[in-house]
Amino acid sequence: MLELYHWEPNIFFLKPLVALAEKGIEYTGHYFDPTNFEQFRPDFPANRESQLQLEREGPVLVHDGAIISSSFFMLEYIAETFPGPTLLPADPSERYRMHAWGQIIALTLGSAVATLGCERYLAPALRSRAAAPLRAQIATIEPLERRSAWAAVVAAGDDEAAARAARDRLALPVARIEAALGRSAWLAGSEYSIADIDAFAMLDPLPSLAPAIVSQRSTPHIDAFLERMHARPAVRAALALSRTGRPAEAFVPGAEGSRWG
Amino acid sequence: MVTLYHWEPNANSGKPMLTLAEKGVAYESHYLDLLKFDQHQPEYLRVNPDGTIPAMVDGDLVLTESTPMMEYIDEAFEGPALRPSDPHARWQMRWWMRFFDAYFAPSLSMIGWSVFVGPAARQRDPAELRAAVERIPLESRRIAWRKALFNEFSEEELTESRRRVAFATGVLEAHLSKHPYICGDAYSLGDINGFNLGYALPLSQPERCNDEKTPHIMEWLRKIYERPATRATWAKGRTQMAARVGMLERGAAGPKRDRGNA
Repeated sequence: MLELYHWEPNIFFLKPLVALAEKGIEYTGHYFDPTNFEQFRPDFPANRESQLQLEREGPVLVHDGAIISSSFFMLEYIAETFPGPTLLPADPSERYRMHAWGQIIALTLGSAVATLGCERYLAPALRSRAAAPLRAQIATIEPLERRSAWAAVVAAGDDEAAARAARDRLALPVARIEAALGRSAWLAGSEYSIADIDAFAMLDPLPSLAPAIVSQRSTPHIDAFLERMHARPAVRAALALSRTGRPAEAFVPGAEGSRWG
Repeated sequence: MVTLYHWEPNANSGKPMLTLAEKGVAYESHYLDLLKFDQHQPEYLRVNPDGTIPAMVDGDLVLTESTPMMEYIDEAFEGPALRPSDPHARWQMRWWMRFFDAYFAPSLSMIGWSVFVGPAARQRDPAELRAAVERIPLESRRIAWRKALFNEFSEEELTESRRRVAFATGVLEAHLSKHPYICGDAYSLGDINGFNLGYALPLSQPERCNDEKTPHIMEWLRKIYERPATRATWAKGRTQMAARVGMLERGAAGPKRDRGNA
């Protein structure tokens, strides 16, 4: 039995939808709205790992009772468990690059892209709600870091500095992805892999959120990569699962930025 | 032959060292003294332009991310498997490695840098230190070194780091009270990662990590220390930092208050 709890096909939520479509695997989808805090309801699948996972919010896969969270590791799980295209390069050095990209993207884009998306879309939406019940709802979230992430989105109102810092943090990882895609068609090397699904889900919002950093002019290889990804039937099928018709506006708080400054 | 550029068997450097030792892979070792900024010297920047350690070179491939490096070592070389074959146990291993790398380690190392790395490096000429910091290629590492060298950690930051270390220690103790190793019954990369992070916890955090409060962490650390690969790897240490591992010897005197080394 395979069930996927997901929201709009964007950022973390988009990744397993693409991977499962690439594999052609049947599953039961449960659409939920994390901005209505449905992931905190008692009947929502949760365990210690899903509560403490460092992206804070995201999809949850339940496979024969096992609860899988954390979007890149979920991609690895899907790739390693189910039949169909492997989505893993055969060559160990390409596999290393795939793992390394998964880590770099989680720790950089996983924080910065979510911050920018929340600032533009989620923060105004939350602030249009009645403040007291929203505050009360956020106050019950555990653990503390997950609660703080939501509180920060609500508080970020005029915090242009946070958005600027997030844009600054994008420059290095984006430059490295651009260079890698200049060397080979896919991120890990010659073969399409879950690293590409991972990168696509986090890069696709950037031409809109940070046009000075990702655009046809400044990052032609990323631009062509996004176009190649959009042409894949699995990506089209995943994006077609949107219920709002505006998946590119669906954001949740993501990983926190480095605490070292 | 594999070449490994590393510092002490500790934190990120120790991860590939211990993994290679468990696999029985011989390697050409280049010891870089982190406190002397060897990792920012031109010879090393030719290997890893980011100036971070460890780095491993295998043929044409240069590996610079220590956790993915461990997975590569397990995959590319003969020797005992260090990852479970069951995908769910593997997922669990990766979840724990991320929890160690991105939650537990940054907080623990912030404390460690404030009480040990910073004071140790400050013994040197300030002008030379400032020049050394300016040579650091990555801005994020420059910021970290500045904070450590000039003791710019705020009390608020350190308090939060101590809270996180206490919280993470509790999560780890709860997990190990149900499973002998990170992924269940078999030793894996998750344990190698966790040992490099936590082998000195009983010395650096004596109030939080000890035989009374965290018996399962203590047993886990001692079991890992008893492995021949761990002994051989920590024997390569050159400083008091690595020597702290000796307190995991069964029957060793209980931890004395640690003076500085975290």
